[in-house]
Amino acid sequence: MDVSTGADCDLALWREQALAFEREVGKVVLGQERVIRLLTIAVFARGHVLLEGDVGVGKTTLLKAMARAIGGAYARVEGTIDLMPTDLVYDARIADDGRPRIDPGPLLKRGGDLSIFFFNEINRARPQVHSLLLRLMAEGTVSAFGREEHFPHLQLFADRNRVEREETFELPAAARDRFFMEVQVATPADREARRALIFDPRFHDTERLISEVAEGLLDHRRLGEIARRIQEAIHASPTIADYTIALWDAVRAPHKAGITLPDVRMERLVQGGASPRGLSFLVRAARVRAWLEGRDMIVPEDLRAVFPEVMAHRIFLDPVYEMRRDTLAPALCRAAFDTVPVP
Amino acid sequence: MRCSTISRAARLVLRASFARAGARFAQRHSTAFALALLLAMPAAEASEVQLQAPRAFGYVVGDTLTLEADIRLDPGARLDPASLPQPRKVSSWLDLVSVEITPPLGAVPAGAYRLRMTYQSFFSALEPRSLEIPPWPLTIRDGEARRTLSVPAFRFVVSPLRELVPSHGGNPMALQPDILPAPAPLGPDMKKAGLSAAVAALAALGLALAQGWRPFASGRRPLAAAAREIQRRRAEETPQAYRDALVTLHRAFDASAGRRLLKEDLGAFLEEAPALAPEREDIERLFGASRTAFFGAGIPAARSELPYADLVALSGRLARAERQMPRAALQGTVEEAP
Repeated sequence: MDVSTGADCDLALWREQALAFEREVGKVVLGQERVIRLLTIAVFARGHVLLEGDVGVGKTTLLKAMARAIGGAYARVEGTIDLMPTDLVYDARIADDGRPRIDPGPLLKRGGDLSIFFFNEINRARPQVHSLLLRLMAEGTVSAFGREEHFPHLQLFADRNRVEREETFELPAAARDRFFMEVQVATPADREARRALIFDPRFHDTERLISEVAEGLLDHRRLGEIARRIQEAIHASPTIADYTIALWDAVRAPHKAGITLPDVRMERLVQGGASPRGLSFLVRAARVRAWLEGRDMIVPEDLRAVFPEVMAHRIFLDPVYEMRRDTLAPALCRAAFDTVPVP
Repeated sequence: MRCSTISRAARLVLRASFARAGARFAQRHSTAFALALLLAMPAAEASEVQLQAPRAFGYVVGDTLTLEADIRLDPGARLDPASLPQPRKVSSWLDLVSVEITPPLGAVPAGAYRLRMTYQSFFSALEPRSLEIPPWPLTIRDGEARRTLSVPAFRFVVSPLRELVPSHGGNPMALQPDILPAPAPLGPDMKKAGLSAAVAALAALGLALAQGWRPFASGRRPLAAAAREIQRRRAEETPQAYRDALVTLHRAFDASAGRRLLKEDLGAFLEEAPALAPEREDIERLFGASRTAFFGAGIPAARSELPYADLVALSGRLARAERQMPRAALQGTVEEAP
């Protein structure tokens, strides 16, 4: 069914803009259609995203392109082992007159208009920084200069690479649970895209490449409102609710759902997790996907399309299996969808 | 016999000429004349009948005897069919039951025949006694000439069935007990019947597998099983029946694909199962209606998209199309996933 009827006309218009936004980002980031679709869903669900992947696959380029296309202020911080929360909030330096000065840091410099905050290499930062981010993500506020700063339009993107583990701090479960999605960015599989990325000089100069992206395609001040309206407009039937709960059960107790994975003791595999917040995020993401697909109802395909990214990082595996998370978590998600009957 | 008659005639002729002509002349020439006469006669002596007789004793009332007569004819001679014996009552105690001649007397005359005559004797003897089957004359034609060849008589001894004076007392006229019937040999027939039954059972099994009949339906021909279930309830026009039919078909598609099949997976699934591809449009309509029913506006809206009758008809077509699918494509079950 088409959403472009009656009062939903505005939503239909926004859908066109969202698809245009996807196309625009897709022009400079090749072979990552699925990642772009997921990030678009995150933008319209107002969720924070953690990107994971190898070095040099284009995570930063992708986020820069998105920030430019969304419009609004953009700030970026590199995570290091000696970075402290105050370094995000304040800018302490010696001024021209030789006296120490404390100015607003990267977070505060642009005030409440900040639309994208990009935290590079988040796992290199200390837990103190993680807790600041936790609050920023949960409440959209930071305390500074004796008052509370609000960031109503802020969306946080973070990335980390999984290659190095020295001098890193694993994100606490609470912080990971607050991320709307954890998206894996892989090297493009498409041969043509890879050839272009290597040989086309257009992709060698990232700054120039990013400047090709049209600026401010979406009005970042209205994103929150549109996200709310999407959530209200997309219908979820009792059947899909039952199905979602059955999926939840299957992931929490896979052995009871009859799921088996090779070389895994299913009753030990999952220790916990898959929180209610995670499930609500899942439905939020599914609604946005349904809207992007031009439907006014959630169908199981919507859940399946966003499930690994929204749910996998919330499932806590037994330590024995934790090292195999990269293969086990997606396999468990896939098995759940292969097992739970629809409808 | 004829030969001796002719010899006698020759001798008479000789004697007459002997009387008329001079004795010396006659004596000198008689041998040559007889020789000339003998040479002038056709080689009639070649025709003969030889009787191949059975044993000549040990017959009781009611027994049959088969006499076989080998008849050899001169070249050019023919057996007169009218002279053959006919089955008949020969005497008060003897019947000629059947007569058979090989080769049959036809247009082409043969040099040799075998005449087979079956007699039945009804002579109830009180003591062993010799009886005779009378001879039978056969007429032989050779051009205009006719001769008679006789099938010789046959003597045989009949015996009584019972003692004349019973040696152990009792009534000699009492009925003897019947002979117990011998069991008919059924072995080969039983073997054939068993073989036929095995072939029939195999054929029935093959048909059941091919048609997806119970209990072979489970899992292997999921769409056929679904179609049967839907056909069974097609008279129910309730929304619940419609809903159940949709769920039944979904489960069948799941079993067919070896995983839960969603609308977006149809393209890949139909490539795996090209036998169902001709129904692509209707399968998509089915999944569309199912979406409406379960996740959208509800069952009434879905029924306007895909009426119940269409759903029932589609399930039948899917079951038929499924038969074209190779067995390997049906092996996957949902339990095995992933």
